[in-house]
Amino acid sequence: MRDLTIDADRLARELGGMLGAAVQRDPASLRAHAVDGLVPQIRCAPKDTDELCAILRVCDASGAAVIPWGGGTAMHWGNPPSRADVVISLEQFNRLVEHDDANLTATVQAGMRVAALQELLGGRHQCLAIDPPDPQHSTIGGTAAANINGPRRMAYGGVRDLVIGMKMVLASGEPIKAGGKVVKNVAGYDMCKLFVGSLGTLGIITEVTFKMTPLPETAGTVVARGSLAQTASLIEALFGSVLTPAAVTVVDGRVAAAAGLQPAEASVAVWAEGFTETVARHVRDVQAMAGQSGMTTEVVHDIGHRRLWETVRDFGAVGAPPVVFRLTVPPADVMPVLAVVCRLSDGGALRYVAHAGTGTVWLAFDTPAPVTAWFPRLAALAQEYHGHAVLAAAPPEVKRTVDVWGPSPQALGLMQELKRQFDPHGTLNPGRFVAGI
Amino acid sequence: MNRDKLIRELRAVVGDEYVLVEKEDVIVYEQDGSIMQAMPEIVVLPGSAEEVAAVVRAAKQANVPIVPRGSGTGLAGGAVPAEGGVVISLARMNRILELDLRNRLAVVEPGVINQDVTKAVAADGFFYAPDPSSQAACSIGGNIANNSGGPHTLAYGVTTNHVLGVEVVLDDGRVVWLGGQVPDCAGYDLCGAFVGSEGTVGIVTKAVLHLMRSRESVRTLLAIFDRMDAATQTVVDITAAGIVPAALEMMDRLTIEAVETGAPVGYPRDADAVLLVELEGVREFTERGAREVHEICMHHGARQVRVAQDDAERLRLWKGRKGAFGALGTLAPNYYVQDGVVPRSRLPEIMRQIATISARYHLRIANVFHAGDGNLHPNILFDMRTPGELDKVIAAGEDILRACVAVGGSITGEHGIGLEKKAYIGLLFSDADLNAMAKVRKAFDPDGRFNPAKMFPTPITCAEMRRAPAKIPAGLWI
Ligand SMILES: Cc1cc2nc3c(=O)[nH]c(=O)nc-3n(C[C@H](O)[C@H](O)[C@H](O)COP(=O)(O)OP(=O)(O)OC[C@H]3O[C@@H](n4cnc5c(N)ncnc54)[C@H](O)[C@@H]3O)c2cc1C
Ligand SMILES: Cc1cc2nc3c(=O)[nH]c(=O)nc-3n(C[C@H](O)[C@H](O)[C@H](O)COP(=O)(O)OP(=O)(O)OC[C@H]3O[C@@H](n4cnc5c(N)ncnc54)[C@H](O)[C@@H]3O)c2cc1C
Repeated sequence: MRDLTIDADRLARELGGMLGAAVQRDPASLRAHAVDGLVPQIRCAPKDTDELCAILRVCDASGAAVIPWGGGTAMHWGNPPSRADVVISLEQFNRLVEHDDANLTATVQAGMRVAALQELLGGRHQCLAIDPPDPQHSTIGGTAAANINGPRRMAYGGVRDLVIGMKMVLASGEPIKAGGKVVKNVAGYDMCKLFVGSLGTLGIITEVTFKMTPLPETAGTVVARGSLAQTASLIEALFGSVLTPAAVTVVDGRVAAAAGLQPAEASVAVWAEGFTETVARHVRDVQAMAGQSGMTTEVVHDIGHRRLWETVRDFGAVGAPPVVFRLTVPPADVMPVLAVVCRLSDGGALRYVAHAGTGTVWLAFDTPAPVTAWFPRLAALAQEYHGHAVLAAAPPEVKRTVDVWGPSPQALGLMQELKRQFDPHGTLNPGRFVAGI
Repeated sequence: MNRDKLIRELRAVVGDEYVLVEKEDVIVYEQDGSIMQAMPEIVVLPGSAEEVAAVVRAAKQANVPIVPRGSGTGLAGGAVPAEGGVVISLARMNRILELDLRNRLAVVEPGVINQDVTKAVAADGFFYAPDPSSQAACSIGGNIANNSGGPHTLAYGVTTNHVLGVEVVLDDGRVVWLGGQVPDCAGYDLCGAFVGSEGTVGIVTKAVLHLMRSRESVRTLLAIFDRMDAATQTVVDITAAGIVPAALEMMDRLTIEAVETGAPVGYPRDADAVLLVELEGVREFTERGAREVHEICMHHGARQVRVAQDDAERLRLWKGRKGAFGALGTLAPNYYVQDGVVPRSRLPEIMRQIATISARYHLRIANVFHAGDGNLHPNILFDMRTPGELDKVIAAGEDILRACVAVGGSITGEHGIGLEKKAYIGLLFSDADLNAMAKVRKAFDPDGRFNPAKMFPTPITCAEMRRAPAKIPAGLWI
């Protein structure tokens, strides 16, 4: 057994000798970096990969637990860490390294804010088709590490599909890279896949190369209001059609109201983008299908469209409600699952955003009470449909009573062995991942 | 090892007729689509995941290597048993187990032929997107191991973007699922890490594939250019204009000559490049997209743009492209295909460099490739009977790969490293990078039993292998 208590003063002196003023120990700053209630002892912000490697070498050797920190918007993801000694902020890794617009790729440092990146890309009529919550604060590295996917995944793919290259530093302080900057590449193992969604438990991501998407000529959304049953029938019709929307998302009345729409039992928003005539066709056809399902429609553009999708994007993350679940089920099972959940909650304090095209259902409760009752129930429900449920947010004391990732995967042994191979001392985000990895 | 004991055990697992040991039986497994050969010691054809697991356990007990094999169309020597041991052919495990069209899923065994997946769902308006040009013969297991692409993966993504889960047999005979029927399964994305692992970490025994809805409309254009530079610049501009075609394929002058000699389709022999563009989607998208592509081609001085008006014409436009590989035989007895990739922005430059390399080695190089994603297929023409010629070809191939890496590219876009390119993987990755991959291998397969001598740089090089031209089955193109 390693001694798990560290000498923070000595560690701070050692890091300070390397980094100078970039090592912080003032209590207010440290409290602001608490993770699920655990306050770290040191915060530092390396200015480049060499410094980051040096910090990790020292931490790994001294047994200090490291918490990689991007924008801090998704620190509620995962089990509470078992230890949290040193927060390493990537705030100085904030540059766009290269935007090869004729190749539709961009290489970005991990600490860059998503909104800042989108603004630079937009200047050259491109964007990153990933819509993480709170883009003013969330970073590229955090988005990749947490594998956060938004409504447009069904059209453009998820984070795992859009990342084509990465640089990372392992717990030992060794820098490595994976993939490259070409859109098709099968040289060696696809290491990017392992790091996307690894929640900082295998290494610290310092740079990511993504596939870009051209900014569409225009975009618009048809919102259809009605009952859950009507919504299900519209989605089935859509799914049977040849249409290629960017997103198909179902929201409850309260979310609709927050998005500036007229509330109803359920509203389904169909986002179309691309050539003007393509969008017009989608709007026309979706309105007709909605009419056949007996639903009322409204079409939103510009500000209305943006407000709606920003509300959807930030759901469960910004102004964090106490308890959030994420269910992932096969796409056609989204509406049946939603119907069961609504029946169980019986008009209670439940809000939802469900992406019908990708099978992702977000549920938010305004009180922490439901976790013990709801989590097993939702996990069983998802499993019935070959899917899974994650407790995405809850107060730390509640999270400590469960594994937020649900039942252990069948391949847990392989995952534990991978963790041992990459981080033998359990330095990086200890305890946060599945089954306490 | 005690060979006889192992053979007895294997026979007990799969039955006598599915264990091959005589030279005349195993010789058909000595090669894949590459030029490398090694005579297998034992070939086993299991019929189920349980049998695969038992075969793996027996091989572990006997401490011999295991080489998984699908249809043997791989182009990098991945299925060649370079270090002996047991070749496990998955060819008998070829059933489509489940089609769930509501959820756009297919569950299949690894020996299912790629094309058969789409055939099974086409009438219902679906398709399986990854379409390697070898799709009439290659297996889903091989596709997963190599993360295969194809002409239409430009818009739809390669194999890894369409595999949700795999059931695999690990080195100790355990059978586990990686991923599942939905994305984002809890824990590391082991399915993502498995796809593209070239048979070095386990054997796929089932896969969950994502199906797509057939598109409403298809538009195909063929543009003829007098200068290669203008054609490659057209590709750059189509990409930069934000039009993502389903396919964007290119052929150069030498390929045109081969096609017009072998299986003529009416390309002008004096043209320098032919560009084939296909758009898929709702009608409004393909109409407008085709118009814009047409304009970009004309802007770059295309001599002629042909637009297919119906399905028959569409097939005619594709005929030359699909016939090109077979027609290369009219130019030379042998050809050696490379698979480098470059950022699309660097296409004009790399094509000029390949021309320079061709001149330097006095070797003719016919280029027929997936231009839209920057994936080159330079075919170096030669005659195996000329002493020393093959070594010269391999040297020219290496120069091309170096040139690709120098402009920010990769040494393989879809064919894999295998035996063929493991000496070059160091061009892309440092020792630390490769060491990280070795950690993954170690977590899955601590003894290094699966497909040894592949992918990682090891002492056996391509030059030490027995080499002969591959026999490519009819009906495949490249
Ligand atoms: C004419 C021609 C055209 C081609 N065109 C393309 C193309 O357009 N795009 C493309 O990507 N490739 C192409 N290829 C290459 C080849 O067809 C692909 O790599 C294909 O996926 C190989 O499948 P296979 O079943 O033949 O596999 P094999 O050649 O039998 O094996 C390939 C690799 O997969 C491993 N393997 C096989 N089955 C399993 C399993 N069940 N579990 C674990 N590992 C396994 C083997 O060990 C080996 O390393 C082409 C090849 C030819 C000959
Ligand atoms: C109107 C509409 C309604 C839909 N409703 C359903 C439905 O009821 N049932 C259903 O199965 N699908 C449904 N889909 C989603 C559909 O399966 C996929 O989202 C779509 O086919 C993806 O194809 P694509 O061309 O949009 O992108 P692709 O490139 O094929 O996929 C985009 C990416 O999204 C992810 N993804 C998308 N769909 C799935 C999936 N089914 N499983 C796993 N990962 C996925 C993948 O990671 C993939 O890389 C619907 C799609 C539309 C257009």
